[in-house]
Amino acid sequence: MTAQHVRTHTIDVSSMLRDQKKTAEPNQICIKVENLNLFYAEKQALHGVSMEMAKKKVTAYIGPSGCGKSTLLRCINRMNDLVDKVTIEGKILLDDENIYDKSVNVAALRRRVGMVFQKPNPFPKSIFENVTYGLRIQGINDKRILEETVENALRGAALWDEVKDRLNDNALGLSGGQQQRLVIARAIAIEPEVLLLDEPASALDPISTLKIEELINELKEKYTIVIVTHNMQQAARVSDYTAFMYMGELIEMGTTSELFTNPQKKQTEDYITGRYG
Amino acid sequence: MSEINAPIKQPPATAKDGRSAASGMEPKRPMKISSGEYHQRWRLIKDALARYGVVAGGLGVIVAILLIFFYLLYVVYPLFISASAEPISEYPVPEQALGSTVLLAIEEQNEVAARFTDSGQVVFFEAASGKTILTQALAIPDDAHITSFAQGRPIKEGSVIYGLSDGRAIIVKQQYKVTYPDNVRLITPSLKYPLGKQPLVLDESGAALEEIAVKVGNNSTTIVAKTVDKIRLINFKKEQSLFADEASLTRTDSILDLPAAGIADILIDKEESNLYLISNDGRLGFFDISDKSSPDLKQQLNVVDAGQKITSIAFLNGDLSLMIGDSSGLVSQWSMVRDQLNRPAMQKIRAFKVSDKAVIAINSEQRRKGFMTIDADGIVGIYHSTAEREMIKERVSDALPSVVILSPRANALLLQSAAGNMHFWHVDNEHPEVSIKSLWQKVWYESYPKPAYIWQSSSANNDFEPKYSLTPLVFGTLKAAFYAMLVAIPLALMGAIYTAYFMAPRMRVYVKPLIEIMGALPTVILGFLAGLWLAPFMEEHLTGIFAMLMIIPIGVMLFAFAWQFLPKAIAENIPEGWDAALLIPVILLSGWLAFQLSVPLEAYLFHGTLQDWLQAEMGIGYDQRNSLVVGIAMGFAVIPTIFSIAEDAIFSVPKHLTVGSLALGATPWQTMIRVVLLTASPGIFSAVMIGFGRAVGETMIVLMATGNTPVMDFSVFQGMRTLAANIAVEMPESEVDSTHYRILFLAALVLFMFTFVFNTLAEVIRQRLREKYSSL
Repeated sequence: MTAQHVRTHTIDVSSMLRDQKKTAEPNQICIKVENLNLFYAEKQALHGVSMEMAKKKVTAYIGPSGCGKSTLLRCINRMNDLVDKVTIEGKILLDDENIYDKSVNVAALRRRVGMVFQKPNPFPKSIFENVTYGLRIQGINDKRILEETVENALRGAALWDEVKDRLNDNALGLSGGQQQRLVIARAIAIEPEVLLLDEPASALDPISTLKIEELINELKEKYTIVIVTHNMQQAARVSDYTAFMYMGELIEMGTTSELFTNPQKKQTEDYITGRYG
Repeated sequence: MSEINAPIKQPPATAKDGRSAASGMEPKRPMKISSGEYHQRWRLIKDALARYGVVAGGLGVIVAILLIFFYLLYVVYPLFISASAEPISEYPVPEQALGSTVLLAIEEQNEVAARFTDSGQVVFFEAASGKTILTQALAIPDDAHITSFAQGRPIKEGSVIYGLSDGRAIIVKQQYKVTYPDNVRLITPSLKYPLGKQPLVLDESGAALEEIAVKVGNNSTTIVAKTVDKIRLINFKKEQSLFADEASLTRTDSILDLPAAGIADILIDKEESNLYLISNDGRLGFFDISDKSSPDLKQQLNVVDAGQKITSIAFLNGDLSLMIGDSSGLVSQWSMVRDQLNRPAMQKIRAFKVSDKAVIAINSEQRRKGFMTIDADGIVGIYHSTAEREMIKERVSDALPSVVILSPRANALLLQSAAGNMHFWHVDNEHPEVSIKSLWQKVWYESYPKPAYIWQSSSANNDFEPKYSLTPLVFGTLKAAFYAMLVAIPLALMGAIYTAYFMAPRMRVYVKPLIEIMGALPTVILGFLAGLWLAPFMEEHLTGIFAMLMIIPIGVMLFAFAWQFLPKAIAENIPEGWDAALLIPVILLSGWLAFQLSVPLEAYLFHGTLQDWLQAEMGIGYDQRNSLVVGIAMGFAVIPTIFSIAEDAIFSVPKHLTVGSLALGATPWQTMIRVVLLTASPGIFSAVMIGFGRAVGETMIVLMATGNTPVMDFSVFQGMRTLAANIAVEMPESEVDSTHYRILFLAALVLFMFTFVFNTLAEVIRQRLREKYSSL
């Protein structure tokens, strides 16, 4: 990495938000990233990223493979802490609180910021136990509460009708798309504020993908959603805002319609028109 | 195989992911046909070769295991086949004119037999053909006749005593001299008179000797004779002069304090210390005659049920048990047992229902604890007392038998029928000692106060009753494995969990191979360290060992507690996952402290050594080589196996599951307990099973550190003997194809079956767990 690559891009989201016509009320900022640098050992993976994400909106990260979008996403619930030899500089504010502060309880943070991964990862337990996992680890074992939560979460993840008769079956018996929705149900069962989706549909067939996308549209009523996707059509379909990243830098961010129809940067235009990626 | 073929056979449309779809496109690409065909064919040949190679290897393994199994079975099988008897020859009684037979005898090789007649003649003849070899007459005075007769103890000495009507007796001894003229075995029989050719005067008054018994020895001969009103005990002691060659004979006489009337039989044991008098009405009188001048009546008791009569009696080989046959066809075994006050008393050990008719004769084997019976119907039966097994039951002659003898090796029998014919039979009875009961159940052995599980396969003494109970060995095997697992499972599994899940990857790189190298340590080294260093050390520092068990966890807890108060600057300098390294000095220090404290602790708590206290207060004995030593040593040997497999299982739990759990706000501990261990459970289970299998089959450590005492005792301070160690100890000493040898093979078979059944069971459980919890 040479010094000239290390640039900072601050995008004034609030001004963009004011311009936005679709929303009736002004958007609140939920997550604010301030000058974030991330190093895997000696290699820098994020270069001074700063951005803001609006509450109860869908923000999509797009960019070519290895551009750092998943890394950035994983910073928001500190999943990168699990990686050996990682160092992080800068701040991420969740409701004006720096999540990288020494006093932050990481487990508590992750309860507020749920995450769904690329590959469906249900636990080798029953459907019921999968959904209630987040509650049980908090010590909630009241059967009534658990049952209520399971139904709500599965309904929320549009899976209830498919599995309501076999809640005690092993979750591994579900199809890939069902598993992914189960994982979403598991994440929303603990009612997080933010939901991070790391390419949630990339391992799924088109019909399952469609279902996930419909689900994202419903979920943004309640949650702030950040989604990483390879698929630009998907980003265009599901997100309100889109951030384009390249080589560990945030190149451009704006409302989805604007970014796709009228990109400000040449790199963005090249990417969305398919010149590289 | 099908997996290998799959991409070729399946059309691209069914391939799910992009990669196989792409490979499905390949055949369409144009290529040189010839080289393509060649390549295609070569690929198929390689595929077929690999397939057959794998199949052959797999089958080879199965065949090898089956061969081992069947070889063990082949060696063990003869133990359980029953005995057989078949006639060899039948001929008229030789020299019938010389009187009727009172005793038949046969020598070791089954070639020469002897017939003792009621007229004092001895006829030696060929056992197979009945051809007379030699006839000899005893020097019976003209004015006397034979009134009683008995075979001397022990039978293999071949002595016989005749009681005469004038109060005198003659002792004769058969001798068989083996020579090899022209390289052919020739057996020459002769008679010898150990106490002189002239009759010995036993009763000065000249009363007829109605019953008589003798034990003839080199230095001492004891005769018990019954006249009409007295029972006399006469002992001749030969005393060799220190300086001269001549020997002087000292005679001791005494009269037994029991009315002579009704005494039907007299038996002296080979030690000349016990005398048994049997009366017609079923009473047994038992004397201690260790002091020949004052015989001591120890016990008198009834040995048959009311209304029954004693119809036959014989010592079992070793003269420790009496086999008493009664008129109801029952043969009961009575043995002298010492009670709690160490008083000898006759005790009925077991009984055989031989027939519905009276048992008219009992004839014991001379090498084993077997015996032969004849009932009033003339049916011959061969039994084994310890195994409680009926080996043979057969009618040997159509006429009733009058006299019968079993050969010294118990492989032939000679029977004289009332019709005057001799029947010579071959008996095939190799392994009568083994039965399910003698192997697995409690057996009441001779001279034991009660039935017990005992393994004692040999002794210095030939009359010894072998005790082949496999139960204490199986018990010992499981006990050793249990204590080893008690040590190994917690340490290995916790170590595996920590190493795979919490430890810094860089530390893991060193720790894992290090523990795996432990597994490469030859077990013989662990064994002798355990036996020669650990066992004495533990004996000396027992309190220290137990103090360590308490002080080390306390030390670790204290350290963990103190950790919170450590200045941040120091705490943060220790990289995450390396904190375990800090525990090493803590553990060493606590261990040292435990041993330092053990001396005052022992003095304060136990007023002496812990072993003495255990013995005095709890009645727990302490063996130097005990289960604790084995548990630690074998635990040490098993830890690497369990650790390595369990660590792999935990480490290979897919990252996306742990990450998924952590992303839901679980702590690492919760993730480990609820997701990682669950998913790794099949692997952890098989790690424990493989460790257990290793502990069961382990030989060198238990051989060197257990003391090899086949006791059945749960106590952690007692040793044991395992099946594997038993085979290692005794196999080199056992005679090939003997019962002992085959029983050792049986022990091996049991061990084999044990691990086989256990592993199969474990594999089934593991598969089910995997079905349930595998996430792949």
